Amino acid sequence: MIAEAGHYALVLALALALIQSTVPMLGARWGDQALMNVARSTALAQLLFAGASFTALTMLHVTSDFSVVNVFENSHSMKPLLYKITGVWGNHEGSMLLWVLILALFGGLVAAFGNNLPLSLRAHVLAVQGWIAAAFYLFILVTSNPFLRIASPPIEGRDLNPVLQDIGLAVHPPMLYLGYVGFSISFSFAVAALIEGRIDAAWARWVRPWTLVAWIFLTLGIAMGSYWAYYELGWGGWWFWDPVENASLMPWLAGTALLHSAVVMEKRNALKVWTILLSILTFSLSLLGTFLVRSGVLTSVHAFATDPARGVFILLILCLFIGGSLLLYAWRASTLKQGGLFAPISREGALVLNNLFLTTACATVFIGTLYPLALEVVTGDKISVGAPFFNLTFGPLFVPLLAAMPFGPMLAWKRGDLLGAAQRLTAAGIAALIVIAVLWAWTFGGATFAPLAIGLAVFVVAGAVSDLAERVGLFRIPLTIAVARARGLPRATWGTAFAHAGIGIALIGIVCETTWNTEYIGSMKPDHVAKVAGYQLKLDGVTQRQGPNFREMIAQFTVSRDGETLEVMTPSKRDFTTRGSSTTEAALLTRGASQLYVSLGETNAEGAIAVRIYHKPLVLLIWWGPVLMAFGGLLSLSDRRLRVGAPKPAKAARALQPAE
Amino acid sequence: MTRKQRRLTMIGGSLAVLAIAAALVLNAMRDSIVFFSTPTMAAEKQFPPGQRFRLGGLVQPGSLVRGDNLAVNFSVADGSATLPVTYKGILPDLFREGQGVVAEGALDASGVFKADTVLAKHDETYMPKDVADALKKQGHWKDDYGAKPGATAASAPVQGTSK
Amino acid sequence: MTLWFVFALMTVAAIFAVLWPLSRNSSAQAGGSEAAVYKDQLAEIDRDVAAGLIGVSEAEAARVEISRRLLAAADSQHNLPARSSLGLRRASAIVALVGLPIAAVTFYLSLGSPQLGDFPLVSRTRTADANQPIDNMVAQVEAHLEKNPTDGRGWTVLAPVLARLGRYDDAVRAYRNAINYAGDSADHRSDLGEALAAAAGGVVTAEAKAEFERAVAQNADGPKANYFLGLAAEQDGRRADAAAIWRGLLAKAPADAPWRPLIEAALARVGDPAAPALSNDAMAAAKDMNEADRGAMIRGMVDRLATRLKQNGDDVEGWLRLMRAYMVMGERDKAASALTEARQAVANDTERLRQLNEGVKNLGLGG
Repeated sequence: MIAEAGHYALVLALALALIQSTVPMLGARWGDQALMNVARSTALAQLLFAGASFTALTMLHVTSDFSVVNVFENSHSMKPLLYKITGVWGNHEGSMLLWVLILALFGGLVAAFGNNLPLSLRAHVLAVQGWIAAAFYLFILVTSNPFLRIASPPIEGRDLNPVLQDIGLAVHPPMLYLGYVGFSISFSFAVAALIEGRIDAAWARWVRPWTLVAWIFLTLGIAMGSYWAYYELGWGGWWFWDPVENASLMPWLAGTALLHSAVVMEKRNALKVWTILLSILTFSLSLLGTFLVRSGVLTSVHAFATDPARGVFILLILCLFIGGSLLLYAWRASTLKQGGLFAPISREGALVLNNLFLTTACATVFIGTLYPLALEVVTGDKISVGAPFFNLTFGPLFVPLLAAMPFGPMLAWKRGDLLGAAQRLTAAGIAALIVIAVLWAWTFGGATFAPLAIGLAVFVVAGAVSDLAERVGLFRIPLTIAVARARGLPRATWGTAFAHAGIGIALIGIVCETTWNTEYIGSMKPDHVAKVAGYQLKLDGVTQRQGPNFREMIAQFTVSRDGETLEVMTPSKRDFTTRGSSTTEAALLTRGASQLYVSLGETNAEGAIAVRIYHKPLVLLIWWGPVLMAFGGLLSLSDRRLRVGAPKPAKAARALQPAE
Repeated sequence: MTRKQRRLTMIGGSLAVLAIAAALVLNAMRDSIVFFSTPTMAAEKQFPPGQRFRLGGLVQPGSLVRGDNLAVNFSVADGSATLPVTYKGILPDLFREGQGVVAEGALDASGVFKADTVLAKHDETYMPKDVADALKKQGHWKDDYGAKPGATAASAPVQGTSK
Repeated sequence: MTLWFVFALMTVAAIFAVLWPLSRNSSAQAGGSEAAVYKDQLAEIDRDVAAGLIGVSEAEAARVEISRRLLAAADSQHNLPARSSLGLRRASAIVALVGLPIAAVTFYLSLGSPQLGDFPLVSRTRTADANQPIDNMVAQVEAHLEKNPTDGRGWTVLAPVLARLGRYDDAVRAYRNAINYAGDSADHRSDLGEALAAAAGGVVTAEAKAEFERAVAQNADGPKANYFLGLAAEQDGRRADAAAIWRGLLAKAPADAPWRPLIEAALARVGDPAAPALSNDAMAAAKDMNEADRGAMIRGMVDRLATRLKQNGDDVEGWLRLMRAYMVMGERDKAASALTEARQAVANDTERLRQLNEGVKNLGLGG
């Protein structure tokens, strides 16, 4: 009953999505308000049914109802409850259901809180959301149905893969999805604007909070995925430039560009056509990210052949939405009115530069990710485009972007004063130079590039700080007034400063980790001491422990520095005998922002154990940066100016009364 | 500046950045792309010693020999050919005899593949489904190899011209 | 029944979501407008000027620009009067009332399985034991044992079932665990030996033989252990030994032991001169029993061994076993062709070839 009710709810959601995608469009075409309002109630009802469907699947997983194929294949009665729940989206069908649920959620939010939108715009936006939703419901029901049943249910499920039972792995896909799917709203707004043939500054203001929400989630999702890979995979890497990661980075880069170009559009009514294009591209990349990764196409073309129906459907959806929206764009973009003028040196100009570099960087990632695939299709050669490619292309493109970043917020709209901005950035520049000089002297003869990169990062952070200082007039006026002014500063300004500083901080972490990372790899016997970056790690001994369904080998290290004992670290290795698989549990010791990382390898015949120990200086900054960026995004989001639009109808009516 | 001049400035700037990016991409493509090869393909292509490539296949059962100080020797097989591999370091958790493996490195003068990175086939992805898929993929892997000789023969001339 | 009631409720809710806005006469309030945004932008400029964030002249320029947009927005706002097209509304209402339920139910029926109830694990483990397929019960017991590997009684129950299902390797493991956790006994040992022999394709391997010997050490009269020890002797070509063991077994056996005919038939097979004369009836019964009980099984085991050797021909011992088995079954032709295959398989290896030839000598297989 639960399974079938969930199944039927999904079918109803499809039916509602179909109505939502047609009736409001007709209403907008004929100017009928009641028809346009259908969009709202159907979007909310669709959210209800998608939610019911997802809840049903979750309950099936929790109760281990193996009469459902999806549960049978992806669950096991012995999984801990938490992983039974996270297992719902740990497989293709369930993750697609989560995807549409989030899509319905965003649609529902627009329906519920979109009071300030013009009626026809809201109708169009929700109708486009309806198209996307309908396509996905159909995809799920026809090719990836999570509610298919087995007539004679087996007694036990198939999946108890220990590697998948990890909280980081369980949480970050939903975060990424919130990001990917969030960009569907800006896509819908863009398509709605193209259909209406009308776009203006107000449009940008309405679209920005949604883009910001998606961007915040995507930022956190990427950071979380990276940290998971770092501590769980046991070799201390945090970014591998593999297709899965690139698939999430591309929408992030495009989304970041979109965020900035929307500002230009809102403030200056310029870059309209470009912003529309970016909205379309960002969501297209999100679709690509969801699908290509999920379908396994990115890793091998042959994965496509294993399930042709699904593959063809995916191709159809991609063609329909990406191709269709781009066609619509080519057809309608010329009808959009030209916007405001600006000089190349101006805030607008800086944001254009930002967009230029971000999209180009995104394009290089795109090429690096898809080129092997194209080559394999065309010639059959399998190549891999690894980290060196991305470091050589992505890196040089990001350097000018970062160098220009502090200038942007300093320039005025329309026509800026580069010299003035440079003067105001003198302090930041000097700070950067000092850091470079000190680092150079300190690591004399070492890496030449690293101090420069850190200098750049310091410039970015100091630039963000001096922007704030300039705005509140710190050091120029009495402190109390400055504080008052700081309070009066729009939160979006604070948000910008935090987000920009976050980039710089992440860069510091990245450079320090890659340049001054020290490692020790070797085999150790009890009472051996390994010395890494001034720390002494003594292997006290190795103990065995029997876990619920694994045997665990725990090594105990006493960490000391300068003769002073700091802590005991216990990395371990778990063998899941019944599954024939093993996992490595690395041990981390955090000192400030730096970490000591110990993971175990195999034990050899003489009882020595293979050990890798890394000292990763300032590694945590890599993730603190994105967190800071997301916080900045959150601050911007809370800015009252973004929430505005129409004053409350009731208030407006009251305000009008005295005039009568 | 007129509207036209401004537009030209912007277009010029964009083109310049794009040109730089294209140059970077082409440059990186030339230097940092590694071919993926199975032992059979490696034998056909006759990689010169020192040229880096990725070697993929199954770890030949019974070929794993552990030496001193984390040195490891094993053979990678693809059904029709095998290639000896040496590596120094810790093998990934999922490394197992008879399972898929990808090693990156180059051949030395004696025809032994010296790997500096060894990836067990499925730890390069970390999404849950992908780990599961990777396990399934090993089935397809063997299929690939069956189809491979024809495909490589067809692509060999193209390969020759692109170099 | 409840299911269809729930479906009906859900359908009604969905229809209601469409009909509700259609039924309401649209209010004059037509959502937000661009004008509001521009008004807010103007206010924002005032605030910025008051806070000293932008200069007065810049503020004035911005005000002019925004005011221009505000005017344009206000103009365009009134050119779209609210209309209501009754025809379209009626059509939509009909689609929602008729089309939606029909489409949803048709689509669902083509995919769903409304006849299936829920099968949460909890309710199933409590009740459904009797009518479940045997595989499920085995899986259940195995899952239980994975959690409680020291439950000797569980292993004791599971092992024979596994053996009957033909999962001999698992059965071997299960019997070992049973011996470990439920205690050693002659019966367990001889069952383990039988499973080992079954796993080896019916051949009593040295490992299996060791188990039978242990069983006999604990209980000298165990019929199963003694029978298989005899079989081992027969397979090694020591027919006289085999006959001696089986005769001893028969001598001690109660007259009505069900396995008597089996042993007698085996004795007859090795051509024991001293085999007790059997009545024709008994002989026939034994023969029937042999055919019914063991013929198919032995045939299967031998075939498995043959297939294995085709894949991996290095195993001289295996080839000899196979040939012996064919000889025992009276299939000389097959034994001879197996010998040819074996010679081909080990042709490159002189040492193995020598072993093979030695072994063949004892088999009495000419050529």
